[in-house]
Amino acid sequence: MLIVRAPMRISFVGGGTDLSDFYRHSPGRVISSAIDKYVYVAINRPPLIRHVSARYSASEIVDHPSMLKNDRIREALLELGILSNIEVGTFTDVFVNAGLGSSSSFAVALMKGLYATLGKRIDRQEAAEAACRLEIDLVKEPIGKQDQYAAAFGGFNVLQFNPDGSVGVTPLRLDYKQRLNRESHVLVFFTGITRQAASVLQEQKEETHNKIATLKGLADSVFEFRDRLLAGDLAGMGRMLHEGWLIKRTLASKVSNTAIDDMYNAGMGHGAWGGKVLGAGGGGCVMFLAPRETHSFIRQALADAAKKHALDGFSEIPVRFVHSGVEVITNRNSFDRKSAF
Amino acid sequence: MDEYIRHFSTSVAAALQALPAKEIAKALDILQATYERDGRIYVFGNGGSLALATHWVSDFNKTVFSHHLDNHARRFQAIRLPTTEEELTAWANDVGFDMVFAGPLRNYIQDSDTVIAISSSGNSPNVVKAVELAKSCKVPVIGISGFDGGRLNAIADAKIVIPTEKGQYELVESVHGVILHLMARYFKDYFDYMTEQT
Repeated sequence: MLIVRAPMRISFVGGGTDLSDFYRHSPGRVISSAIDKYVYVAINRPPLIRHVSARYSASEIVDHPSMLKNDRIREALLELGILSNIEVGTFTDVFVNAGLGSSSSFAVALMKGLYATLGKRIDRQEAAEAACRLEIDLVKEPIGKQDQYAAAFGGFNVLQFNPDGSVGVTPLRLDYKQRLNRESHVLVFFTGITRQAASVLQEQKEETHNKIATLKGLADSVFEFRDRLLAGDLAGMGRMLHEGWLIKRTLASKVSNTAIDDMYNAGMGHGAWGGKVLGAGGGGCVMFLAPRETHSFIRQALADAAKKHALDGFSEIPVRFVHSGVEVITNRNSFDRKSAF
Repeated sequence: MDEYIRHFSTSVAAALQALPAKEIAKALDILQATYERDGRIYVFGNGGSLALATHWVSDFNKTVFSHHLDNHARRFQAIRLPTTEEELTAWANDVGFDMVFAGPLRNYIQDSDTVIAISSSGNSPNVVKAVELAKSCKVPVIGISGFDGGRLNAIADAKIVIPTEKGQYELVESVHGVILHLMARYFKDYFDYMTEQT
């Protein structure tokens, strides 16, 4: 039995520039941080049970991985030639499809874990690449690469997506005071609306060629956001989030809706410096940067707005920034250490 | 005599002025991530470096939490290798001196762990052997070296090297002591601050 985990993430600026339709023309950039909410993948190779078993929100037991409905697990097993005697299960700290990058965290943890069961340890870079190949090339999701890298590396990073397909990861070295200070001004709320990122991103991807100049501006603004973050200019960071959100809303029609607009405006109307919807948009989580003394007012205003739209699933998600990326938590395979030495 | 003393202190002060801050920051982030995943930290070296390793373990396992020993559900798990003199001499006598660190490390090492290797030359065969084992397990390595950094600095993830002429052991080990204390102090301040905030 082997257990792997990978963190979810909050992305601040530059979303959309990690789509190949953009970065093929001009380098994309994203600034994001891993958070203390994880996706766990447990993998077992039972020697006497030939079936292939996948346990997530559904449970599947089949004779061959090609028969699995879960596309990521199916394609990963086929890719690695693991055709029998395997059980894969997954667990998460918060809702999936909430804009926290959980599906890519899952892909990263899955690839790291499956390689480990084959006796091969892959590092963070290899795990990110393997997850990108799984999600983009094999499953053919219309998504970018930022989430796989954020999950694999952990920490606060500027990610750069180069036209040749390579990805640069530059960690921001915040000390503990800076880190705790920045995170104590962040508020994250799950709207109660889940969505498939693919549905929003497909339209955005198709529109990318019309929005090159806009996206280039977003990619360039990552440096300014980084500088404000390092300097502790939280109000300036908030303003940039707000401007970025206004731009993002123009990138695809499904990015926002009335309920999201109401919640966002409630936060802004109660003292937030700025905010955005996390992930592709259309639902998921809304984040604010706000002075601490406004937090209780924003919480109440958001709860009222959610009630108005009958969103029962609405809740606050407290987050901390973490340094850990994808990692094997437990490895009880007997052959493991022998193969390492 | 004055001049001799001043000469030594000047060279130590110059090395301190040029501390590799970026690599130390990277090492602190590696330790933070290890703490988050409840991994263990193995630390080792030869001679004076082994003394530094042992000293650091006591700082990290106890002193960083000393004001709030009961306030943290989880503490650091730093382990000096080998853990006993008996183990050290057994490996050295029965298997070979190059195995005194790699031998015990293989008994313990798991994916969630971290290694700190201390070697002034960066080329001690027993240190390099253990670091290569850690690298093959994809476990992060903080390399603390001097002179030209040697093989240790080449393969470590956090490359903390105090560049000096070959043979400047006293200078290098003195600065290593400062860096190890900096790491301990960072986490002590961090846990103090966290406790004050809550």
